[in-house]
Amino acid sequence: MDKVTIGIPRALLYYKYKDLWINFFEELGCDVVVSCCTNKEILEKGKKYTNDESCLAMKVFMGHVDYLKDKCDYVLIPRYACLVKHEKLCTNFSCLYDLVRNTIDVKIINYNIDIEKKEDEFYAFTGMGLALGFKYRDVIKAFRKAKKFEENQRNKRLLRQKNILGKSDKIKVLLAGHPYNMHDSLIGKPIINFLEANGVQIIYSDLYDKKYLKSEVERITQRNYWTYNKEIIGSISHYKKRMDGIILLTVFPCGPDSLSNEMIIRNVNDTPIIQLVIDELNSEAGIITRLESFIDILNERRKIHE
Amino acid sequence: MEYFLGVDIGSISTKAVIIDSNLKIVASSYLWTKGNPVDAVKNVLSELQSKIDDNVHIVGVGTTGSARKLIGAMLNASVVKNEITAHAVGTSTIYPDVRTILEIGGQDSKIILLKDGIVTDYNMNTLCAAGTGSFLSSQAKRIDVEVEDFGKIALTSKNPTKIAARCTVFAESDLVHKAQMGYKKEDIIAGLCYSVCNNYLSNVAKGKKLEEPIIFQGGVSKNIGVQKAFQDIIGKDIIVDKDGHLMGAYGVSILALRSNKRINFDFSIADQKFETKGITCNKCGNNCEIVLVKQNDKLIDSWGNRCENGSVSS
Repeated sequence: MDKVTIGIPRALLYYKYKDLWINFFEELGCDVVVSCCTNKEILEKGKKYTNDESCLAMKVFMGHVDYLKDKCDYVLIPRYACLVKHEKLCTNFSCLYDLVRNTIDVKIINYNIDIEKKEDEFYAFTGMGLALGFKYRDVIKAFRKAKKFEENQRNKRLLRQKNILGKSDKIKVLLAGHPYNMHDSLIGKPIINFLEANGVQIIYSDLYDKKYLKSEVERITQRNYWTYNKEIIGSISHYKKRMDGIILLTVFPCGPDSLSNEMIIRNVNDTPIIQLVIDELNSEAGIITRLESFIDILNERRKIHE
Repeated sequence: MEYFLGVDIGSISTKAVIIDSNLKIVASSYLWTKGNPVDAVKNVLSELQSKIDDNVHIVGVGTTGSARKLIGAMLNASVVKNEITAHAVGTSTIYPDVRTILEIGGQDSKIILLKDGIVTDYNMNTLCAAGTGSFLSSQAKRIDVEVEDFGKIALTSKNPTKIAARCTVFAESDLVHKAQMGYKKEDIIAGLCYSVCNNYLSNVAKGKKLEEPIIFQGGVSKNIGVQKAFQDIIGKDIIVDKDGHLMGAYGVSILALRSNKRINFDFSIADQKFETKGITCNKCGNNCEIVLVKQNDKLIDSWGNRCENGSVSS
């Protein structure tokens, strides 16, 4: 069998599952190619495949798929419908596969996650491995190894963040949002760069201790059923007391965020909080004004508390 | 004595003040930006120059407002600061006990909450300009009323019409609809004032607690119709300072005073040729838009590049 090359778009769920994905395919002996960091060219390409109602992150995603179309045998586009019983994910995650299939001419490798239909990660990954023609035994081995690797990487990052949290005297800001927005080089990176250049220590909302999540979420709300937003809420609740401020980062137009962030802003009253909504506008000036004044305020507050 | 210049270049208007080292305003100027910040600044400078004695020597310059960076480069400013901080500093210098600043400008609106002269919280409208000054002036044009007369006319209304406030586009179609139905002009105008306030309170203030004293600023604060609407809706006293529009410029002049940097400012800068140019860098997929500022055909500053590839030097 020829070596298969799997293309992974550097967008959306990549930022949640990259360790699992890359490791799983490499364990199986596949070549993995990840699309380049998002730039304007990728966004412009993505816009051609999406309509005006799609959120910025979706437009970026489509651009990445386009980038990969002649660089691999299959593009990995899983379908995530439900991760926790009675909870929801943004519908984008369940329609990505169909959306791409109908707009871009690429071969797709796919798996389904829908806990309410008992389709879990193990079931999904073994199915995908078999579909690629690998032996059941090898697939299970690769999955277990990749899972372990993912866990280790996460723990390492979490530990690093914990250490920073304990040590740093800098102004600390919790950057809260979906990982695919925070870590994207076009959406979140300019914000991260600006904050770091201005002496701010950033704590990321996607690095949180899973065991506290449920109780932490409930301290802010009992009525949110968006799984990914619950992670953000739980993280805010967990970190906010140790933060100088919180920046909620979202892209236009995000349905779940528009509800969830509004609620966060109204319910979190003990820590300064701002929301930044990023859209396709070319100018960063508005964002910089908001960030700059926010840092000014946090510095002033520090001075009084000292 | 040392003197300091503060310039606030907003989307609609440009404001400038000169203060002495006792924080007293010795001269001020207020003009329309008209989409050309460089010319607007030249004009305010020549107006200021005509208002002061020859022995007034300016040793510090601060710029704020949306064109602060451009004008900062042009004036070789010692301080370039965002308008939120500038407004807070300016206002709390004149009103040390202020707790809430409501501000509605040409394209943005913000709320600043303070305690003991320190900003504790703030919020700014999202990139959408609903319910700001430019909204009011475009609606004024639509119903053929000078925006300056808006407030006076609104006060004559006994029964303000309800106008959808959430979004400018909807507000506009609602307004047309109400006008076609036969509502009186003054009622519609008063309704617009209320809709600006409601929009502000739901989109910008977002349920934040508004403690007194409350100060209302920005171009829209000159509109007595909106002043009254705020007073009615919030149910608290609203203070409008006659120099409210200068607070950003005043604040940034104070910041220039507080900074250690001293420069030798010369009004002749207004006679020099400044040119700005936007270019697109094509060295990578980011296609950054880079702004170049030239003084007498010599490059003095540039920005906008995300990486070193796009850095421009003279």
